[in-house]
Amino acid sequence: MVPTHYYLILAAIIFSMGALGVLVRRNALIIFMCVEMMLNAVNLTLVALANQWGNLSGQVFVFIVMAVAAAEVAIGLAIVMAIVRHKDTINVEEINLLKW
Amino acid sequence: MNALDILQLLSPELILALTGFVVVSVDLAMRRRDEGRTAATIALLGLGGALVATLLLAFAGTSTVEAFTLAIDPYSLFFKALAIVSVGLVILASISFMRGKSRYLGEYYALLVFAALAISLAVSATNLVMVYLGIEFLSITSYILASYFRQDLRSQEAGVKYFLYGAVAGAVMLYGISLLYGATGSVDLATVGALFSAEGDQRLLGIAAIILLLAGFGFKASLVPFHQWAPDTYEGAPTPITAFLSTASKAAGFAVAGRVFMVALPNLVADWTAILGSLAILSMTLGNLVALKQTNLKRLLAYSSIAQAGYIVLGLAALNPGGDFDGVGGLLIYLLAYLFTNIGAFLVVMAIEQHSGSVDLAAYNGLIKRAPALALWMTLFLLSLAGIPPLAGFFGKFFVFAAVVERNLLTLAAIAAVNAVVAAFYYLNIVRAMFFVESEEQKPVSVAAGLSAALAISGIMVLVIGIAAQPFITWISRSVEMVLVSGM
Amino acid sequence: MDLTTFPLLSLILWLPVLGALALFLFADARSIRVTALVVTLLDFAASLLLLPRWTPDGSMHYQEVLAWAAGLDFRYHLGVDGISLWLVLLTTLLGPIVVLFSWRNVTENVRSFFFLLLIQQAGMLGVFLSLDLILFFIFWEFTLIPMYFLIGQWGSGRRVYAATKFFLYTMAGSALMLVVILLLYFQTGSFNWLTLKEAGLDRTLQFWGFLTFALAFAIKVPMFPFHTWLPDAHVEAPTAGSVILAGVLLKMGVYGFLRFCLPLFPQATAIFLPWIAGLAIVGILYGSLTALVQKDVKSLVAYSSIAHLGFVMLGVASMNEQGLSGAVLQSVNHGLSTGALFLMVGMIYDRRHTRLLAEFGGLWRQMPVYSALFMVVVMASVGLPGLNGFVGEFTILLGAFRVNPLWAALGTLGVILAAWYLLAAVRGLLHGPLDNPANQHLADLDRREVLVLAPLVLLFFLIGLFPALFFDKITPAVELLLRDVGPVIGR
Repeated sequence: MVPTHYYLILAAIIFSMGALGVLVRRNALIIFMCVEMMLNAVNLTLVALANQWGNLSGQVFVFIVMAVAAAEVAIGLAIVMAIVRHKDTINVEEINLLKW
Repeated sequence: MNALDILQLLSPELILALTGFVVVSVDLAMRRRDEGRTAATIALLGLGGALVATLLLAFAGTSTVEAFTLAIDPYSLFFKALAIVSVGLVILASISFMRGKSRYLGEYYALLVFAALAISLAVSATNLVMVYLGIEFLSITSYILASYFRQDLRSQEAGVKYFLYGAVAGAVMLYGISLLYGATGSVDLATVGALFSAEGDQRLLGIAAIILLLAGFGFKASLVPFHQWAPDTYEGAPTPITAFLSTASKAAGFAVAGRVFMVALPNLVADWTAILGSLAILSMTLGNLVALKQTNLKRLLAYSSIAQAGYIVLGLAALNPGGDFDGVGGLLIYLLAYLFTNIGAFLVVMAIEQHSGSVDLAAYNGLIKRAPALALWMTLFLLSLAGIPPLAGFFGKFFVFAAVVERNLLTLAAIAAVNAVVAAFYYLNIVRAMFFVESEEQKPVSVAAGLSAALAISGIMVLVIGIAAQPFITWISRSVEMVLVSGM
Repeated sequence: MDLTTFPLLSLILWLPVLGALALFLFADARSIRVTALVVTLLDFAASLLLLPRWTPDGSMHYQEVLAWAAGLDFRYHLGVDGISLWLVLLTTLLGPIVVLFSWRNVTENVRSFFFLLLIQQAGMLGVFLSLDLILFFIFWEFTLIPMYFLIGQWGSGRRVYAATKFFLYTMAGSALMLVVILLLYFQTGSFNWLTLKEAGLDRTLQFWGFLTFALAFAIKVPMFPFHTWLPDAHVEAPTAGSVILAGVLLKMGVYGFLRFCLPLFPQATAIFLPWIAGLAIVGILYGSLTALVQKDVKSLVAYSSIAHLGFVMLGVASMNEQGLSGAVLQSVNHGLSTGALFLMVGMIYDRRHTRLLAEFGGLWRQMPVYSALFMVVVMASVGLPGLNGFVGEFTILLGAFRVNPLWAALGTLGVILAAWYLLAAVRGLLHGPLDNPANQHLADLDRREVLVLAPLVLLFFLIGLFPALFFDKITPAVELLLRDVGPVIGR
């Protein structure tokens, strides 16, 4: 059986990749995909830990996270679409009406 | 506990949920559009019912009861009342403000009611799953509300920024939650608290979890360094929503942070109070310094609210169970004072925006001549934000400072005190514009009935909490005792 | 009515607030003025009731205690002793005087003006009467608000700048005070002055406590080099505002030193006394020399305030019976004579809308009553024997001499300079040819204006000729203070 910490390390790497993507990419859709990656990394962690502890809390949590993520996608894409309709761009650096 | 008891304990939440659905359905069924007036009325009635239910539970002396991973204790009831009142005031002000600005006002009011429900769930969560759900529920409703003006690119920008930051913050917080689960095998806050020790590796893991969790809570509370969304979102969002984000939503962040840290991480109290203390310094200083040069009132109040978040979190940073001033009491009374003060300030901003279409400082010039009542209310709110006695804000600052001094965190106290002077500078600048700067415009400002009512409620509460603080303090110290007893 | 249980101090404190609220019952300016006058006169009468039953010991009289918040030792606690008694009376006396003065020359927003005057008075009385440190702090901070609006709304020239500077300066000064008050509470378990002064605080706390409190008070006094807000605020404020600023608000700083810094932090006082004396002397000389070169009469009076308050602080720094009693009496004297000077400058300003010395000259012939009264006021301020200023300054110098003759010598230099700049003002205004045509039709003082000045002038003579009436009540309180603090600092 694959030891739990392998999963945890893999999840941490995926999470970091997602976080890095959020920081360096400027396309709103790609940023959002990176966030999804982070969420799924956490899901992996939760499943692995649930297996390790032998209880179901982690697994249940994963379902809830997936549901929340789906809702978030729906809202997020709608907002991004509204911007595209106005401005024809999804580059967050060009969405800059509001300034310091 | 039988079903009827549970129904009664969860009555605020049930009323809120029901109200939300009724608002949507009625709005759908109505053939004639009345610009959301019916929806707003139903929403206000529902919120009123929920407030009564909450207060009944609070004054029935309910001790901690758990129902479906929700704690019905004075602490959560306090924050529920806060959220309901805040949303109620926002709706009251929205009736005239939102008229004609959007075609979908039924949903707008329903979403606000759902936001109150989300806060109610988040602040009573005793389980990490519920914490996550509550915060995300609140976030998702807030994203929609912030970008509610579909034709206004700035509102869309506010929404997309809020959304992107929020999604990332939520994911990071979730990772922190998974660490707590990994360390203890439980998602129940109290169980985590009992199992999580402060030794060796677990302490490091705990500190990592604290920082990750803070991304989520700090995002809601707009604490530096999780504040970047706040200025843009506050400026771009519809002003009533800005008022909501800066009060109820912010309070929810503090409430959840308080409960999670106190109940789930009591053994790491030294670490998280230290972290919160440094965030407090950063928030106060950065918020105040940047606010100094703002001329857009919404943006100025955004930075001011970042700075205020710094003061508020001092209460948690100076947690001191058993002390004369336990810190949490300071947090609660500060939030109570801040709720009415800040909503009040935004109500004035709404009135002026409605009148002149501008949120620039210049629109406030000579306000005392054109709208004396508005100018006087605004002055009251600004002085209260600055912490001048005998207004509500002073007592908030007093109790927070007292906790900080009692813990002997004197550097923190001194920085906070000096910051209060910096803040006075820009608050006074608004007063100056309203009273002493002549304006070309002479047209008197008319204020809609709903907005005036909301203003009067906020203003009177700022005065009452200031002059007769005693009953509020008594109520609050009672609710704190309960949490501290159960948590620590 | 039984005066021993009747809450006389609360009556004095809250009467102006009730009066301020009562102003909203009336719509016409005249009723508002009359109400304000009646209220301030009643308040003065109420404060006079303090005198007949006064027992000449140094203790706190007429104490009132009300528990405020459950579980916290935070009380509504009022009391008055020989040090605060005369300051309270000074405040209530100046109340009707400024109301009467503003009778005709405040025409805009009459209600707001008198409302602010009345709540300002309540705030200042609260500062002098509070024995609970939190209560004191609340009143202390509160006094900023009405004065800010008084200067900003009814002032002249750069009034907004002056008002803002006043507000921020004084607020910055007291920023850390709340922190120290809380520290004191956690050391002793009390916010109560009576408990705190017996508590014997540890040395470090005394040191920092003194520094923090002294900063707040030094800005208020104002002591050199914290004085820069004062010329702006005094010059731009409306006359009524200047009178209250000079007459009472500055005394809050002196009072703070006497009431809090010295008895609560005696060990720190011992360390800092020479510094206070030094700054006081610098203040005397700086204020006098700057006053000498002023072209505007009002700035001249403003700078003279810095010099006079330097005297008062020199008395405080002497830390002996003469010095402290003199400081208290001279605070009152300065309130009366500088208040009168500001009133008289205001009267001339109302007529000519200028205050530049160069614009005047030869008023002696045109306005004899004004000129005679002006001479009396100047003489009182200079310290002519027989008038009040002499008693105060002489006592202070006596006290200073007993500690360090050099202090007294430098102080005396200040007296000479004071004579110089004030007589320069007299010469500029009253003497010389009446050559400016604008001055040739000036009306002399009317009955109201004489009525405004009369009580002040009477008091000049009363204090000057019968100082014992006043020292009788001051000295026991000062003795009590010295009995507690004196041994610590070796006086």
